Amino acid sequence: MLVFAASDKGGTGRSVTSANLAYQRALTGDHVAYVDFDFGSPTAAAVFDVPGAMRGVEERGLHSYLEGESAEPVRIDVWRQTEHPLLRSRPNQSGRLVLFPGDIGGGEFATGDEALERCVDLLLRLNTEFDVTFVDLSAGRSYAVDMVLAATAHPRMRNLPFRWLIFHRWTRQHVIAASGLVHAEHGIIGSGIERGHDEDALRAAIRFVRAAVPDPEAPLGPQGSTAQATWMQARDEALRRLAAEYRIGDSVVLGIVPLEPILQWHEQLITEDDVLSTQIANKETLDALEEIARRLTDDTHWGRL
Amino acid sequence: MAPRQSTPRTALSCGEVRTSLLPARQALDIRSAAGLLALRADERVLLSERPGLYARSPATLTGVDCPLPSANGARVRAVGTVTAHAALTEGRVLQTSAHCSLPATGPDQRRPWGEYLVRPGVVEPLGKLPHEAVARGVLDGPRRGDLDVGLIADGLLTRLLRHPLLDQRPPFRSRPTRLRWAALPAAPGEGPSLERFTLAEDELRTVRLRVPEDTAAADLAALCNDLALHDWLLTNVVRMLDGIRLGAPSAEDPGAAVRALRPAVDHLLHLWMPGARVTRELAALWGPLEERPGFTRQWQAMVQRIRDQLTLHTVQAVHREAEPAP
Repeated sequence: MLVFAASDKGGTGRSVTSANLAYQRALTGDHVAYVDFDFGSPTAAAVFDVPGAMRGVEERGLHSYLEGESAEPVRIDVWRQTEHPLLRSRPNQSGRLVLFPGDIGGGEFATGDEALERCVDLLLRLNTEFDVTFVDLSAGRSYAVDMVLAATAHPRMRNLPFRWLIFHRWTRQHVIAASGLVHAEHGIIGSGIERGHDEDALRAAIRFVRAAVPDPEAPLGPQGSTAQATWMQARDEALRRLAAEYRIGDSVVLGIVPLEPILQWHEQLITEDDVLSTQIANKETLDALEEIARRLTDDTHWGRL
Repeated sequence: MAPRQSTPRTALSCGEVRTSLLPARQALDIRSAAGLLALRADERVLLSERPGLYARSPATLTGVDCPLPSANGARVRAVGTVTAHAALTEGRVLQTSAHCSLPATGPDQRRPWGEYLVRPGVVEPLGKLPHEAVARGVLDGPRRGDLDVGLIADGLLTRLLRHPLLDQRPPFRSRPTRLRWAALPAAPGEGPSLERFTLAEDELRTVRLRVPEDTAAADLAALCNDLALHDWLLTNVVRMLDGIRLGAPSAEDPGAAVRALRPAVDHLLHLWMPGARVTRELAALWGPLEERPGFTRQWQAMVQRIRDQLTLHTVQAVHREAEPAP
């Protein structure tokens, strides 16, 4: 299965959340590929703590591969090459976790049919090898989004299942932007139809993930007042109505990732150790990530509504 | 300049093999295999049904003019052609391989192209070939711009994978492998020997051979294809067995182990035939591998383990049926 991770804006936690989902899937025994199509600013390597590729690789990254400059993109075995002390010892019974990094200074590019064919070649090959392939796409209606929409409509890809995750933060502007990315005239669905996708099938394969969502019920610490809590609950309720109005309401939400302080400080994988032993991360965050990872392949959470 | 007559003796042969599962729900029958591998209109696909279904494409030639990889940094330019072909075993395992042989010395200057074309599969150095250093360079992996036969094998694989006969629905997830090989001349009077077989990175294997001077590069390539095929089978069956969880978790989902192991029974277990397509002299090289690490021994242990697992699940299933419903 292919999972495309998209967002309208930067700073939505798209990369860090999808990297965490990839990590969670690998922990359950799946062989997982993580493909960094965030051409403007490849960051996945930083989340996986892979030195030497923090801002992309010098050569043979995905950008060079798609442009035909290299025959095969570099692959990084995360368990083996990470500096993260816990990940280095590959967890028992886990599947492979392989990162395909972007190039340093790759940037967006526009190219023709050959890049598309190469993209199809790559995705098909990954599908023979990995149970789940995450594709992290640059924010907005980027070239990367167009390319994978065209690729998934390609006749050679007809038997390859795919799903989209749209990440957004829980604010008025982000809700409207995320809806626009999917539903606007030249949004993912509109452009997908132009490229030959079936509207219903495409719609059925798109779900939203609300990231960095503050808990309106949670105490705000010593500074928190009752007035603040009441205000937050009212905002939350208003946002729910707004999301429903913009067709990204609860029924198409795959999951909600709570606001996680350590992710505000440092984009990283959340491990069980962070929750249980050092207790720097919240259990709710880890639970949410595990649950979203599980729902990716649970058909009851997908399909036409 | 006058054309040269004889081909000088070979100082090094090298190649690379890519092995992967054919991405199609059904294994290809012999006619479809011939369709897939018909790379050239003027030459037929080699088909054989004994001891197993096997199809091999005609050879394609790729012209090269580039520096050779070398371990000591020497930059030796070489010109010639690399031979590549594809093979399909039991309509299920696809291999593409590319190889060439390099003579000990070549002309000091580049010759007209026609002179290279009459020696298909030969890449000639300009001047003297530092064959030991180049052999190490090949096995360590060429740098960007160096002669890279692996790229030629991969290009052929990419071409084949775009074929409309393939529905891109592989029956199970599998691990592709690469096997790089280099063969240096054996001491006079010595037979062929396998100096080293290593599992380098996850999917990379390297093989270093010593062979008598008159050994044909095509025979060496056939041997290395055979090694690559069997190494791929071991790699992927090991991976399947790794994927099953024994004990408690399987009780929750008794079908999980059967689902995980079934592809081995359906698609792989009948493919094990080491040496079947290798010349008698070179088939002897399987000997040391059988002794240590013992390819066939490991294979048989795994086959037995798969059968035992499936038997256990059958017994359990019968038990469950026999128990009264709660």
